[in-house]
Amino acid sequence: MTRSRIPQAAGLFLVLFFAIFPFVYSANDYPYIMHTLIACFYYAILASSWSMLSGYAGQFSFGHMGFTGVGAYTAALFSHYFYLSPVPTGFCTEFLIGDQYLVIVDAIGVTSSTLTQDCLRKALAVWDGSVQITPMPVWLGIALGTIMGGVFGLLIGLLVLPLRAAYLALFTLGFSEILRATISAEIAITRGQAGIELPYLFDSGITLFGRHFDKTDKLPPYFVMLFLLLTCLAIMFWLTKSKFGLFVRALREDQDAAAALGVNTTRYKILVFVITSMMAAAAGAVMAHYIRIITPNNLMILQMSLVVAMAVIGGVENVIAAAIGAILINFALELLRNSFEIGPFTLDMTIWRLVVFGVLLMVTLRFFRNGLIAPLIDHFTRGHVAAETVAQRKVAADQAGGAS
Amino acid sequence: MTNLVVTNLNKRFGGLHVLKDVNFEINGPELIGLIGPNGAGKTTVTNILDGAIKPNSGTVYLNGQRIDQLQPYQVARAGLGRTFQVTRSFRRMSVLDNLFVPALALNRGNSRAEIEEKAMEVLEFLTMAHLRNEYARALSGGQQKLLELGRLLMLDPEVIILDEPFAGVHPQLMKVIYSYIERVNDAGTAIILISHQMDSIFTLCRRLLVLNYGDLIADGVPDDVKRDPAVIEAYLGVEEEDTGAGKGGRAQP
Repeated sequence: MTRSRIPQAAGLFLVLFFAIFPFVYSANDYPYIMHTLIACFYYAILASSWSMLSGYAGQFSFGHMGFTGVGAYTAALFSHYFYLSPVPTGFCTEFLIGDQYLVIVDAIGVTSSTLTQDCLRKALAVWDGSVQITPMPVWLGIALGTIMGGVFGLLIGLLVLPLRAAYLALFTLGFSEILRATISAEIAITRGQAGIELPYLFDSGITLFGRHFDKTDKLPPYFVMLFLLLTCLAIMFWLTKSKFGLFVRALREDQDAAAALGVNTTRYKILVFVITSMMAAAAGAVMAHYIRIITPNNLMILQMSLVVAMAVIGGVENVIAAAIGAILINFALELLRNSFEIGPFTLDMTIWRLVVFGVLLMVTLRFFRNGLIAPLIDHFTRGHVAAETVAQRKVAADQAGGAS
Repeated sequence: MTNLVVTNLNKRFGGLHVLKDVNFEINGPELIGLIGPNGAGKTTVTNILDGAIKPNSGTVYLNGQRIDQLQPYQVARAGLGRTFQVTRSFRRMSVLDNLFVPALALNRGNSRAEIEEKAMEVLEFLTMAHLRNEYARALSGGQQKLLELGRLLMLDPEVIILDEPFAGVHPQLMKVIYSYIERVNDAGTAIILISHQMDSIFTLCRRLLVLNYGDLIADGVPDDVKRDPAVIEAYLGVEEEDTGAGKGGRAQP
């Protein structure tokens, strides 16, 4: 195996490891470890797609968590407000589609389950179990959330076209905060800080490999999130190797020079926003269905900072490195929750782990500008370049000497 | 045959009238020097020609196509390429990737292998073949200028604007740039050369345009321009009238 193939082999090993892990790990903390890994994959999608947008294409955005919110809330609102019924409710807004009625539940805010009933609950009370309503498919909600993320990405991409560097960062931060404030304020629709509950990813459970998994089992969401991560990474890896990847890197390096060389910078700037926003939105929607509740706090700037830090520590200019960085950091942050004793002192790691994380971030920024993982990959893929250059220069010099 | 027609070009920045009814035309593979003192409007002309800024009035036609309202990438696709006064290589991209950008943007070549073959030819010519996999940031300032010129070869436009290609370049590399200009021009590409190095301008160019604070004060062959009193007063200076060398002239490689 050549040296440049080592990162690919390591990547394949990691994929196999994560594919096999749930079947071989059987300790008591299985649900906790599985939950941690699902969160790791979620952050890996966010960190890698953010590194595609900010590190690879140079569009330094603080709006990424906003796009996860768009995906999550689209899926949540879709599952919360839309149902199918074989008969009209007589209380709700409804449309006949085929042989079913599309029922749109009225928005009554946080009192829906206590003081006031929404129109569908009223109808259900009248029907008294004689009519079965059908919730919307979870996957349709996730698909809509992903598409809505792309629509928002398109809008933001169009709005930030003339903006660069700090202005772009502040604009996208503004977008994310406005979105969060709007969701918090629109209590009637979004239930504000109370959050909206979502159905399970597999509400009726699922049978995999001949075994039935209950809706609360961790294994199905684990593989859903892992599949989403691998799909996103595969798309991004393919993009980085394509014309698209070349052009967005040129866009990052010098937008004016890229345009002067025939690159439609507007198109690629918008495209990279749309693609990465869709990935963030898809991750947000799946995670919301897994956690089963979404609140505006998920969009907080602190969450965004965490994603940025994960990508920076992994390597912001390499989507794979950013994903590995996110998995390692999130896992380490979880493991560091355990307090330990040094002699007579007890170290409360629930607090100190964030200090460790902060120090790691500062050391990375100071001494490893391209992160800790990306240089390792570069070592194998580009380590030969310097020696090659020197050898070729020598050959050229020898030829010139021989000719003279 | 290449035909670039600039008509009544005007540009104002606030109260500053930086281009005043500028008119000129390029027919065929001319090699034209665009000179003038700092603030004369040379870079503004370049930026308007390449679509980076729009004129307040006036038109630019390239081979019958109006280009003054197009975006820079559309102008590049229409057949006009440029370099920048301050080198703008894609620093965190390899030398080869730098050359791939214009080739892929304009679909030059049927396959990556074909584009790479052409890129290697360009690098051989620019004496940079051994640097093909290095990041552009690893190159010297002169080599980065060569890389910019190489990108233009891959773009293969009909008109090239070279903005200060000799600034800060070692004499050895200047030879390469000289031969680049001659080769590209011989191949049928019109070149507008902007430089303060009068030796190079007078050696290479067969026609000069002189801008002075937004006015095009001369348009002619170098010998006539050198003797033009308005040009001498505005730019070349009285002492150069005798020597024939321009202000700021440097040793020719």
